[in-house]
Amino acid sequence: MVSEKDVRHAWYVVDATDQVLGRLATRVAKVLSGKHRANWVPYLDTGDFVVVTNAEKVRLTGKKTDDKIYHRHTGYPGGLKSISVKDLQVKYPERVIEAAIRGMLPHTKLGRKQFKKLKVYKGGSHPHEAQQPKTLQVSPARKAS
Amino acid sequence: MPRVKRGNKRKNRRAKTLALAKGYYGTKSKSYRMAKLQVEKSLLYAYRDRKAKKRDFRGLWIVRINAAARENEISYSRLMDGLKKAGNDINRKMLADLAVTDPGAFTQLVGVAKAALTTA
Repeated sequence: MVSEKDVRHAWYVVDATDQVLGRLATRVAKVLSGKHRANWVPYLDTGDFVVVTNAEKVRLTGKKTDDKIYHRHTGYPGGLKSISVKDLQVKYPERVIEAAIRGMLPHTKLGRKQFKKLKVYKGGSHPHEAQQPKTLQVSPARKAS
Repeated sequence: MPRVKRGNKRKNRRAKTLALAKGYYGTKSKSYRMAKLQVEKSLLYAYRDRKAKKRDFRGLWIVRINAAARENEISYSRLMDGLKKAGNDINRKMLADLAVTDPGAFTQLVGVAKAALTTA
């Protein structure tokens, strides 16, 4: 049961179109952390790479499109910057997904390493075809009501 | 009364403490004063963690069993329930080991659990 540093990381691709943000993020976070496989160990990064495409087409439920705001602080007095999901999805749609998944990974060195295996792109294409990523099964996409 | 010096006793006790502190960071392995404090604390941690180890491993096994179970389209809790109902008292340590080393056998056990769940 000893897993040495010889863990191999597979590649997965997932289409974010019409996926609910949090539902997608939990699935992806689990794969990144490696907890979807029985050889998981807490001290190594055993997870797989995940490519997310169509980042701008992810869905938010309820009133979050209008209400959800991301805050960050620069460290200077009065340095609180805020941006709404609406604006962020126009400007950097990748970051909406990245932020959701980052929050679900451990906030440790290992977590940051796992996070680096996430690649998010707007639009349907991505530059990782050479890795021949397999399609990642997420719960079926909900129909837009 | 004659004055008593503790010569050997003290020397032996200090040597023992410093021996226990081998490999500790900085003065904690060199100076008796610092080593004594750290050795006391370390023995305390060791005592506590011998018990915590049992919980840690159970947690690890459950994560692994859950991962393998979900590959076989059943959740951890449903699997354990099913095995219990089937009268199969295999423990988590063995289940986790099977999940890693012998996925075929694990799948068979999942089949047993699923059957028990549908009949019940």
